[in-house]
Amino acid sequence: MNLLPFLISGLGIGAVYALSGVGLVILYRSTGVLNFAFGAIGALGAHVAWQLLQWQQPLALAILAAVLVATAVSFLYGRVFAPMLSHRDTVVRAVGTVAPALFLIALMGVIWGELPRRLQFPTDQMFLALFGVRLTYTRLVALVLAILMVVAITLLLNRTRLGLDMRALANDRDLSAILGVRILHTETAAWVITGIFAGLAGLLLADLVRLQGTFLTFLVIPAIAAAILGQLRSLTITAIAGLSVGVAEAVLTPLAWISPYRAAAPFVIALAAVMILGSTSRAALRDR
Amino acid sequence: MNANPAPLTFSETAMAAPAKRPSPAGKLFAIAAVMAVFSAAVAIGANAFWLSAATSAVALSLSVIGLAVLYGQLGLVSLCQFALVGVGGWVTLRIGHAYHPPFEVSMLAGGIVAALVGLVFGIPALRLRGLYLALVTLMLAGAFQTIISAWGFPDGGPGFLGRADGAGRAMLARPALAEGPVPYFLYVSFFATIGFIIVQWHKYAKPGRAWALIRKGETVAIASGVNVLTYKAWAFALSGFFAGIAGALLAGNVGQLDGRAFSAFESLNLFALTIVGGSFHWYGALIAGLLLRAVPALLTDLGIDGYVTIGIFGVALFHALATAPAGIAGQIAGLVARLKPQARGGNRA
Amino acid sequence: MLKTLKVMAAGLALSLLTAMSAHAAASCGDGSGKAASGEPIVIGAITGKTGPDDFSNSTKAAKAYFDCLNANGGIKGRPIKYVVEDDQWNPETAAQLGAKIVNDEKAVLMVGNSSYVECGANAEFYKKSGIYVIAGVGVPRECFFAENYAPTNAGPRVSMLGAMGYALDTLNAKSVACIGPNIPNVGTWSCEGVALLAKEKGFKADVILMDPGSADATSVILQAAASKPDVIVLGMSKGVAVPLLTAAEEQGLNQSITFLSAASAYDLSVPATIGPGWDGKFFVNMEFNDLEADTPDNKNWLAVMDEYGQASDPRDTFAQAGYLAARIAEKALMTLDPNNITRETASAAVRQVKDFKSDIFCAPWYFGDGQPRHNANSTTRMAVSEGGKWKVVSDCAPSPDPELKDIRAFESSMK
Repeated sequence: MNLLPFLISGLGIGAVYALSGVGLVILYRSTGVLNFAFGAIGALGAHVAWQLLQWQQPLALAILAAVLVATAVSFLYGRVFAPMLSHRDTVVRAVGTVAPALFLIALMGVIWGELPRRLQFPTDQMFLALFGVRLTYTRLVALVLAILMVVAITLLLNRTRLGLDMRALANDRDLSAILGVRILHTETAAWVITGIFAGLAGLLLADLVRLQGTFLTFLVIPAIAAAILGQLRSLTITAIAGLSVGVAEAVLTPLAWISPYRAAAPFVIALAAVMILGSTSRAALRDR
Repeated sequence: MNANPAPLTFSETAMAAPAKRPSPAGKLFAIAAVMAVFSAAVAIGANAFWLSAATSAVALSLSVIGLAVLYGQLGLVSLCQFALVGVGGWVTLRIGHAYHPPFEVSMLAGGIVAALVGLVFGIPALRLRGLYLALVTLMLAGAFQTIISAWGFPDGGPGFLGRADGAGRAMLARPALAEGPVPYFLYVSFFATIGFIIVQWHKYAKPGRAWALIRKGETVAIASGVNVLTYKAWAFALSGFFAGIAGALLAGNVGQLDGRAFSAFESLNLFALTIVGGSFHWYGALIAGLLLRAVPALLTDLGIDGYVTIGIFGVALFHALATAPAGIAGQIAGLVARLKPQARGGNRA
Repeated sequence: MLKTLKVMAAGLALSLLTAMSAHAAASCGDGSGKAASGEPIVIGAITGKTGPDDFSNSTKAAKAYFDCLNANGGIKGRPIKYVVEDDQWNPETAAQLGAKIVNDEKAVLMVGNSSYVECGANAEFYKKSGIYVIAGVGVPRECFFAENYAPTNAGPRVSMLGAMGYALDTLNAKSVACIGPNIPNVGTWSCEGVALLAKEKGFKADVILMDPGSADATSVILQAAASKPDVIVLGMSKGVAVPLLTAAEEQGLNQSITFLSAASAYDLSVPATIGPGWDGKFFVNMEFNDLEADTPDNKNWLAVMDEYGQASDPRDTFAQAGYLAARIAEKALMTLDPNNITRETASAAVRQVKDFKSDIFCAPWYFGDGQPRHNANSTTRMAVSEGGKWKVVSDCAPSPDPELKDIRAFESSMK
C-alpha cells in the first residue's frame, strides 16, 4: 500500500492542528489559561466569512471580517471575563472557557443551524500534483501560514518589549508583577494574538473539513494534543507535533484494522509522549 | 455564635471547635435522611418525564461524587470521568446480555472494571498534577470517544462487542425488584445514598486524613508515614467505581446506551458542573447531577430551543464559577452556617 | 412610458394570478373550512432538532397538516393536539420524552417522528405501552425492525441499494466502494447490504466505514479510490457527504468515478453547495417524489406548507415524509367513532391502513398488520445534480435489497 498520498493529504489538517496548537500555547504561556473555546471562536469567524460570501462580498473582506470577529470575541473574553477567574487555579480558569464555547455553539446554532455548508476559497481549485495526489493550494497556504505565524510569534517574543513581558509572565507571574510588567496589558495582548490564530484556523478548517459549529468547536481537543506534545511551552515543537499528528491520522487510513480508530491518533500519541517524557518534563511537575 | 453570650457546655465546645460539624455518625445519618426526603418527594410528585430525568440525574450524581473525591479531597483533576461512566455501562450491558445474571451482578462487574480502568487512567497522576494531568485525562477521554463510537454499546448480539446487527436489539432488563419507573428511581436513589455515605465516611476515617496530608504536599505526607501511592490509587479506584455504578444505573434506566453520547466534551462538562455543584460537600454531587439532567429537562419541558438551552448553560456555568468558588453547595453550607446560630439563639431566648 | 408601465402592471397581475392558481388552496379534512371544536385528540412526536443535523422538518410539516385539518373539521369535529419534542440526538432524552408523551400526555398515537436515536431507545417501550408510531423519517435499523413502528420513508439501506441498483442497471457499474458511517445499525447495516448484493450478483464491492467525527475527508476518499471502483456509493448525512464530495473534487475524482448517495444527501441545497464540478456526476436516491413535482398531492403538500407552515420551514424530503405521516394518521382516525378514540382503537385503526395512495409515494403505503417489521416504502427514484438543481433521471424502481424478501413476500400475499 502506497502511503505517500495519505501523507500528503494529512499535511493540510496537520498544518491547522499546528496553527491551533501554537495559538493555544501562546495564550497558556502568557496567561495560564487553556482556551477550550478556541475552536468555537474560530468557527464563529468562519460562519461570519461564509455569511459575507453569501451576501456577495469580496473574499478578502470575508477573511478579514472572520479574523476580526474571532479576535474581538477573544479580546472580549480575555479582557472582561477571564480576569474574574484570575485568582483561581489553572484548571478552573481553563474550565471557565467552556462557558464561552457553549455560548458560541448556541449562538451559531440559533443563527445558522447545522446545515451542510462549504466555505470555498479560489485556492481549492489550484493544485500541485504529487505522487498521484493533488496538493491543493489551500493546504499549501495552511502550511505556509503555520510556518509564518510560528516565525512571527517567535520574533515577537524575542525581539519586542511585549514579547519580553510575555516571557516574564510565563516564567514567574508574581515576580513579573513586582518588576513592573503590566500584567493586564500583556494578558490582553495574548488574548488578541490567540484570537487571530483562532480566526485563521477556523477559516482553514471550515474549508478543509466542514463548516459546522459544534464540530469545529470539538476540534480543539486534537489541537490540545499538539499543545501537550509541545509541553505547553515550546512553540516549535507544538507546531511540528501538530503537523505530525495530522499526518499520522491520515497515514493510518489504509490500514483496515486500525482505520476506524485513527481519529484517536492525536490522543494516543500525546499519551505515549507523556508516559515517556512526562516524568522528566518541567511542565509536568509544575503547577501554575 | 457571637449572638450567644451564654457559657458553652463541654459538648458544645467540642462540636464547635472542629469546623462546626455534627458528629460523623450524625452527618452520615443526615445524608440518609435528606436523600430519603428528596426521593420520596420525587417519587410522589413527579410524572413519568420528571421521574426519568430525576433517575438519570441521581445516577450521574454518583459519578460526580467520585470526581469530587479526586478534586475536593486530593485536588486532582480528571477529565475522563464520563468515559468511565461509559466503561461501566459497557461492561454492565456486556455481562447482562451475555449471562443474564441479576442486575446487581452486572452492575458490580461494571463498577469493578471501571475502577480498574480508573486505576490505570490514574497512573499518570502519580507523577503529574494540575492542568497537565487534566489534559492527559482529557486525551484518554478523547481516545475512549473514538473507540466507543466505533464499537457502540452491547445490545444482545454475539461476539466480543455484542452488537446485534443482524437481529433485533435487546434491552437490558431492570433489577427484578425495581421494574417500574418509581421503584427504579428509588433503587437508584438507594445506591446513590450508599455511595454518598461511603465517600463521607472516607472523609472522617483514615483515608480522608491521608488524602488531606497528600493534598498539603507529598513530602509532608511521606514524612507522616502515609503511603502516598496506595491512597492515591485508592482514590482513583473509588472514583472509577462510582462512575462505573453510575453507568450501570444509566444503562438500566433506558435499557441501553448510545456511543455518541460519550464524547470527550461530556467529560469536560461533567467536571465543570462538579465545580459548579461544589466538590467539598456531598450534596454538591446531587446538585451537579440535577444540573446535568434535570435543568435541561426543565428547559426542554418549557419548550425552549435546544441551542438556547446550551447557551443558558454556558452563561450559568460562568456565573457560578465566577461567583461561587465552593460551588452552589458551598453557598448553601454558608447560608446554613449563618442561619444556625440565629436559630439557636432564638431557642435560648 | 405610461403605456409600457400599464402593460407591465397587467403582466405582473397576470403572472401573480397564475402563481396563485398554481398554488391551489390547501385541501385537508372535510374541506369545510369550519374549525374543529371538540375535545382534542393528543398525538405525539419525537424529533431530533438540536444536534449534528436538524431533523425537525418532518414534524413541522406534520404540524402544518394537522393545523390545516383542525381548521377543516378535524377528525369528525375533534381537533388534534400535536405534541412535538426535541430529543437533541440523545437516547436518554428520547427515553424521557417517550415517557412524557406516552404516560404524561397520554397520546393515542405518534406521528411524524424523525430521529436518529429514538427508535433504538423507545421501540420496546412503545410496544409495551401499546402505542403505534407512523414515523416520518426512520434512520437506524431499529426503525424498520420494530413491531409498532412504521416509517413512511425507505430508510438508508433500502435507499442506498436503490442507488446501487441504478448504478448496476443504468450506469453499468462493475465495481463499487461503499462509504458509510461507522455507526452500528446505520452505516454498517447499509454497506453490508451492498456487500450482500455484490455477492449475489457477482460484482466487486469494497466497504469503508468512517468516523463521521473524523476531520480528514481526503484520506477517506483516497482510500475509497485506491481500488479504482467504477462508482462510489455514500451513506453519509448531507453534512458529511458534502465534505467528502469536496475532497473528491479536489483530487479530480469527479472526472473518473461516478458518485451516488442514499437519500440522506437529497437536499435542495446540495447541488448548489457542491457546485458545477458535479453536474451529471453525482446521483442521489429519492425516497419520495421530486420536491417540485407538479402532481396533485405534492402540490397540496406545498399548499399546506404555504398556508399553515412557516415561510422558513424547509420544503424538503423530510417535510414530505411528515406530511404523509400526518395524512396516513388522518385516514386511520377517520375510520373511528369520534367519541371512542383511545390508544387501543387508534392502534387498531393504524394496523388496518392499507392501499394509502399518494403521488409522493412510488407505491401505495400500508401498515402490514401482524408483521414483525415494517418497510412499506421500498420503491425509489434517482436524481442527478445538474446546474445547481436536482434533475430526476429515473422512474420508480424497487430496491434490490436482499433483506426485503419478507416484505416482498407479504406484499404479494396482500394482493
